[in-house]
Amino acid sequence: MLKVENLTKTFKQGESNITAVSKIGFSIKDGQFVSIIGKSGSGKSTLLSLLGTLEKPSSGSIVIDGEDVTKMSEHELTNYRCKSIGFVFQSYNLIPNLTAIENVMLPLEFAGLGKGKRFERAKQLLDQVEIVEDKQTRRPTRLSGGEQQRVAIARALANKPKLILADEPTGNLDSQTGKKIFDLLHNLARSENTTIVAVTHDLSIAGKTDKVFKITDGKLKA
Amino acid sequence: MDPFKRGVKNVLRNSTRSVAVIIILSLAVGLSLVMVVARQSVDQKISSIKSSVGNTITIAPAGFSNFSSLNNDLTTSQLSKIKNVDHVTSLSESLSDRLTTIGSSQPSFGFNSNSSNSTNQTSLTSPVTINLNNVRRHFFNASGSSAPTNFSLPITIIGTNNPYQVNQSTISITEGKIINGSSDNNNVIVSTSMASKNSLKVGSNFKAFNSTLNVVGIFKTTTKALGNTIVVPLSTLERLTSQSGAVTSAIATVDTSNNLSSTTSAIKKILGSNADVQNSQQQANATIQPLQSVKTIAVTSLIGSLIAGAIIIFLIMLLLVRERKREIGVLKALGASNVKVIKQFTSEATTLTLLAAILGIIIGGLAAGPITSTLINNTRSNNSSPTSFVQRGALTRQAGGGFAGPRFFSGRGFGGSLRANLLNVHAEVGWSIILYGLAVAIIIAFIGSSLASYLIANVRPAEVLRSE
Repeated sequence: MLKVENLTKTFKQGESNITAVSKIGFSIKDGQFVSIIGKSGSGKSTLLSLLGTLEKPSSGSIVIDGEDVTKMSEHELTNYRCKSIGFVFQSYNLIPNLTAIENVMLPLEFAGLGKGKRFERAKQLLDQVEIVEDKQTRRPTRLSGGEQQRVAIARALANKPKLILADEPTGNLDSQTGKKIFDLLHNLARSENTTIVAVTHDLSIAGKTDKVFKITDGKLKA
Repeated sequence: MDPFKRGVKNVLRNSTRSVAVIIILSLAVGLSLVMVVARQSVDQKISSIKSSVGNTITIAPAGFSNFSSLNNDLTTSQLSKIKNVDHVTSLSESLSDRLTTIGSSQPSFGFNSNSSNSTNQTSLTSPVTINLNNVRRHFFNASGSSAPTNFSLPITIIGTNNPYQVNQSTISITEGKIINGSSDNNNVIVSTSMASKNSLKVGSNFKAFNSTLNVVGIFKTTTKALGNTIVVPLSTLERLTSQSGAVTSAIATVDTSNNLSSTTSAIKKILGSNADVQNSQQQANATIQPLQSVKTIAVTSLIGSLIAGAIIIFLIMLLLVRERKREIGVLKALGASNVKVIKQFTSEATTLTLLAAILGIIIGGLAAGPITSTLINNTRSNNSSPTSFVQRGALTRQAGGGFAGPRFFSGRGFGGSLRANLLNVHAEVGWSIILYGLAVAIIIAFIGSSLASYLIANVRPAEVLRSE
C-alpha cells in the first residue's frame, strides 16, 4: 500500500518560492496501475521524483508498506531506492557504453548480488521483455527505441521492486510500440503484483489504467 | 561489472579526448621525472665532489691575478706563522713563472713582464696546441699588434718544496725519479706530453733561464695545464729567477676536515688583507654552485609539473562530471551510493594517469640525460665567476703578461679539475624513479579527482528527471 498525505514541495527561484506540489494526498493498493496526467509544468515529474525518493518533500509524508520514506536518511534512501523502487524514463537513460545485459545487471550489482546470479537474473528479465539473446549483448545505440525501453523496464524490475515509477514511458515511441510497452507494464503489474505509477500525456493509455490522477498547478484531482 | 571496470571502460568512451589527455599528462609526468632524475644526479655529484675534496687551505698573495704583477709574494715570516697554526700538519710552498720558447713571438700588454725578458726563455716548446686564429683575434689584433706566425704558448715552471702535489694534482712518476723539493740543484721533472713534444728522456738536458736543467723524472700528464708544466725544487727556481725567499702560493694541509674552517679563520687572521685564503671545502662549494642552481630549478619544475598535471586531470574530471551529470543521476536513482559513483570516476582518472605515467616514464627515461646535461651546462656558463682565483686556475704566477688566461687554461688547477668533473653528471632512470613516476601519477589522479568526487557527491538523483 502506498499512502501519500499532505505532500508539498516548494522550490526557491530567486527570492520567491514556487510550490510545485501542494498538499497532495492519495493512496494506491498493491499491484494497481495508476496514471498521472497533467499539462507541462503542472508538477507531475516533481510528484514522481518525490514518490521515487529522488527528492525530499518540504512537508507531508509518503508511506510505503508502513514505512515513511520522508523520514529516512540519505544512506537509507539509497538502499531503499535500490531494493524497492524501479524507474522507467521517457528517454530510457541506459548507460551508453554498457551492453543491454550490463545495464540490467547494474541495480543488481548495487544491491550486492554476486556476478553469476546477476547475469542469470538479467538474462531472465531480458527474455521476459522479449529481447532476443543476440541483442542482449548490444549497446543501447544498436537497439531500437522500443527495445531500449524494454531493456529499461527489465532494469526497473531487476530487484523485484514494490513500486515502479514510469515517467512518460511511451513518450518517445510510436503509438504501436507505445501500446506494446504499456501492455508489457500492465501485464507485469498483474503477474508480479507490482504497483506502477506512470506519468503520461496519452489519455488513451491513461484510460486503460486502474486509476487516473489529474494534476493541475500542483494540486491533485482523482 | 564493478565500478573499477566501468571506470576503465569509460576511458575508451571518447578515445580522441583520452589520447590527448594521456599525451598532455605524460608530458607533465615525464617532466617531473626528468626533474627528479636531475635532482638525484646532481645530489650524487655534489656528495661525490664534497667527499673528494681534501683538507687543504690554499693561500695566495692578495690581488694575485693573471694580469697583475704586484710583487706581493708571501713572505718567509708569514709562512712561518702559518706553519705554527694549530692543526696545520704540513705546508707546501711554490713559486711559479713562465718561460717562452726561444725564437717565438709574444704579445705585449704593457705589463711588467718577466717572460718577455731574455732570461725567461727555454729551448722547450709547449706540448699544448691552440687555435692561432683565437690568439690573433683576442690578443694581437686587440692590442694593435700584428699577428705573429711563430707563436708558441708559454711554459709554466713551478718551484715547489712538495713535488708530490703540484697545483693540488698528485704527481705520478712514470719514468726516472721525483726531485727533492728541499734541495737546490738543476734537476727537473717534466710531463709525459712535454717529454714527448721535446724528445726528452730521463738524463736529457734543456735550456732555461740561461742555465742547463737536467730531466731526472717524467710524470704522467693528467691535465693539459699540468702537461704544460715543468717542476723544479723551490730553491732552484728562486735562484734561477733571482727571487730569493719568494713564494706565490702555499697549500696548508689540516689534520681533519672538522678543523678546516677554524684553521682557515686562524690563517686569515694572521695574514689579514695581505693574502687570499680559501679552503678546499669553500673551493668545492664555489665550484658546485651551478649544481645547487640546477637543484633549485629541478625542484621548482617538479612542483610546477605536478601542479600542472593535477590541474589537467582536475579540469578533465570537471568536464566529465558536467557532461555525465544525468548519468550520475541515473546511477544514483538505481541505487548507487556516492562511494560507488566516486569509485567509478576515480578509477577512470587513475587509468588515464597510469597510462600517462607509462608514457611519461618512457619520455622521462629518454629525456633525463640530455635535459640534465643542458641544465648543468647552461647554469654553469651563467654562474661562472671571474673573481675566484682558484676557479681561474691562477695557482701559478702568470704575472708576466700571461695571456694564458682562462681561455686556454680553463680546466687548470684544483678548481678546474672540479669544474671539469661537473660535466660528468650521470643521469639514470632506475626502479626507484619508475616507482616514483607511478606514485606521481597516483598523486595527480588523487588530487585531480578529489574535487570531482565532491561534485559527484553533490549531484542529486533527481537530475535524471530534469530533462524528461
